[in-house]
This record gives sequence, C-alpha cells and structure tokens, in this order.
Amino acid sequence: MADVEGLSHSAICVHDLKEAEDFYCNVLGARLGNRVNFKTDDAVRGRSVHGSVILEDYLLALMVPGDLMPMPPQDQHRGAHGFRHAFRVSRGRFNEIMDALKRRNVRFEGPVDHPEKSPFGQSIYFKDPSGNFLEVLWRRDEEANYRKPYITGVG
Amino acid sequence: MDGISHIVVEVSDLKRGEEFYRLLGFESAGYDRVPECGRNASFRTASGQWLILSENGRPRSLPETGVHQGYRVTPLNRAAIGKKLAACDVFVHTYKEDRPAEESDNFYFFDPDGNRIQLVAPHTTADLSDEFLAIDHAAIECHDLEWAEDFYVNRLGLVVDHRVGWRTEDYVRARIWGEGKEHMAPGTRRWDQRNTVMEQKRRIPRPNTQLFVRAGEGVLGVYLATQHRQEPPEEQIVGTPRIALRTSHRALDQTAKLLTEGRFAIQGPMEHPDSAAIAASLYVRDPGGNFLEICVPR
Repeated sequence: MADVEGLSHSAICVHDLKEAEDFYCNVLGARLGNRVNFKTDDAVRGRSVHGSVILEDYLLALMVPGDLMPMPPQDQHRGAHGFRHAFRVSRGRFNEIMDALKRRNVRFEGPVDHPEKSPFGQSIYFKDPSGNFLEVLWRRDEEANYRKPYITGVG
Repeated sequence: MDGISHIVVEVSDLKRGEEFYRLLGFESAGYDRVPECGRNASFRTASGQWLILSENGRPRSLPETGVHQGYRVTPLNRAAIGKKLAACDVFVHTYKEDRPAEESDNFYFFDPDGNRIQLVAPHTTADLSDEFLAIDHAAIECHDLEWAEDFYVNRLGLVVDHRVGWRTEDYVRARIWGEGKEHMAPGTRRWDQRNTVMEQKRRIPRPNTQLFVRAGEGVLGVYLATQHRQEPPEEQIVGTPRIALRTSHRALDQTAKLLTEGRFAIQGPMEHPDSAAIAASLYVRDPGGNFLEICVPR
C-alpha cells in the first residue's frame, strides 16, 4: 500500500488568472477558491500570484508563472502538457460540458468511445486557455454510490 | 455614475497651491463652494468639473505610491504647460503606466505639496480649443483589490476598464523594469522579497496589482497598497482628499440603499444650500479607507 492517503490538489500554470478562473468556473462548473496577491499582506510577504478553483472534491491551484510557457499546437486536443487532468462527470453533465465548449468555440476531440470492458464510457479531450490538457469522462458504473467527497486540497 | 464630478486634493498653503494650478490653466471659481472640504479654493474646468484645493498642514499626497490625478488637455496646451513648468524648475517625469489608454501619455510632475499630476493629451482632444481642461482619472490605493472590485463594480456600478497583475505578460514586463530597461511610474512595480531559504531571500521584480474602473469618461485607478498605512478613524465618513462621482438624484438614493444593504457606513444623501456648487451628496469610504462622494450636479 502506498504511504499516502490520497491526492490533495494539483497546481497548474496559467498565463492569465482571470481567463483561467472564467474557464474552469463557466465551462467545468468549478467554484472560486481564493486568490493570492490582491491584498497588501501578500505584497508585504512577497507571495507569488496564484488562485484556486474547486471542482466538487478537487482543488486546482492556478499559478501564474513569470515566464511564458511553450504552448502545444492549436489543433492538438489530446496530450499531456506535463500531465493531463481527467474529471469524472455524469452522462447528463458530460453533454452539458460539450455544449459549453461549443458555445465558447473551444475545440475538443471526441466523444471518444472506450472499449466495452473499460470502466469508462466516453471521453472528450480539450485544453484550457493556457494549453493545459483536460479530459472529461463518464463511467459505466455512474449509478454507483461513491463516498461523499471531502475536499482535502483546501488549507 | 456618469463620470468624475470633482476631486479634492490637499495642499499645505492655499495661495501657493492656487498659483501652481493656475499655471496649468485652471480658473478660480471662488472659495468654499463645495461643502465638506475644509478651507478650500475651487477651480472649474472647461468640462464643467471641479478641482478643489483643501488646506491641510500635512497634506496626504503619498508621492511615493501610485496615487495621482490625471487631467486631460490638448497636445498643444500640454507642450505650452511643459514650457511654463520648466520656467518654474518643475521637473517633468516621463515614466510609463500599464493601462493601454495611457501608454503614450507619459507626462508627470508634482505640485508643491507632492501631489503627483499626470497630463494626458489623447488624439481626440487635438481639435479642441486650447482652454480645454478636464479631470481624466484619479488613482488611489487600497489594501484589498478583490474587495475594491466588489465595491466599485457591484455597489457603485462602475465597469472594469483594465487589470494589471493577473497575467504572465505582466510579470515578463516587470522583469524588463527590474533590469533597468523600462522606466515605470511609482506604484506600478515593486521588488518582492522571497523569504524561503530555498529561494535564498531572492528579490524579484513584480508588477504591482492594479484595477482600473470606469464611470462614463472618468476612470479610477486602484493600486494595491504595498504597505499598511494609518487610515483616518473608522467613524469618520467624510474627509479629504476625496473623489466625487457624478450621478442623478434617483441613482443617489438607490446607491444609498445598496451601500446600506452592504453595511457600508454612509453620510447623507443630503441637499446642499443654494450657494454650493453641487445640489446633493452622499459620502462613503471605499474598502481602502478612501473618502468618496457621490453627488448630483446643479
């Protein structure tokens, strides 16, 4: 058994905090966590600029790097720019997210069907505005009751 | 809110202040015309706005910060003012700011009391008469920009014009300043001290976080305060220096209601005597402790 209790959160780099917040909140339905460096106390302490969004039980810290990152090619929707986050949603929500992406002209790949034996039904692949790869999928056992989420990424 | 009605700046000597601002083309409009400004001299601009000089032995001008006042003039007039300033040994700084609209308008100097003044001369003013003068923008400090945004946008109905400090691009540009290759206005950049051992107490150049909000043609620049400063007592709602936004009677009452619902302490709305330059006012302090006035013109 691994000597960790679970994944707490991920920190990803974004080129524009406002744009990223808008994307995660309005496409994926996240809620705003916090923002750092919009208060004098943060400036006095020299803290880095970052924020966070919370997707149900998972916290994504949005870090604003001091250097522009290389961007994956525009027409590449599936990949791992460092890594890829895959979020599980219900089938209904899956369709809503596809609609939200279309409305915002965010290009995506899919829905891709997984093999019948796979626990996953379908996935779509896309990127956030800073080129971070994302996947949204629904599980064949979506009726199963999972434990109530507990957000361990919030300090 | 449809624009800036007047701004109140503090000077230590009214007479000296008046002489200086006349140099910029401001025309005297008498004394004590605007209520709640202490002993003051008023000027009226061609745009119908007011500049009020309020006498205070220790003027709160914060010259080392982003705080400043921007006036709009014609390009020709700005050149003429530049000559007058040079004749009085007033140094004109040509540093830059981050808001794209001000990119080419780098003309700054201090009044005798350390109030930083910027003269902007957009192309749109080129055909106007030389007497043209308007209050373009005013910049203040706040210790919490999220709170400031909520206040100015959700309570007062201003719209966001520009933000600084949210993007990697801002950090890339700050490094250019850190390398001494770009001359930026006070308050727009800062050296942050990293305190972790891992980072060996490195100092890094950063943009100072800023928010610009717009009311009609008037813009308020809200700079993040880089240090805590003593504010006036909490119970003091009316004071100087102050920025006044213009609105209608109806909107004044609505604003009073919204502010009260938001648990902001207000004074007013109150009608002024006929001798006053404005008809009615409502006073409040923003979340940074800055004195504000929402007023109805005559």
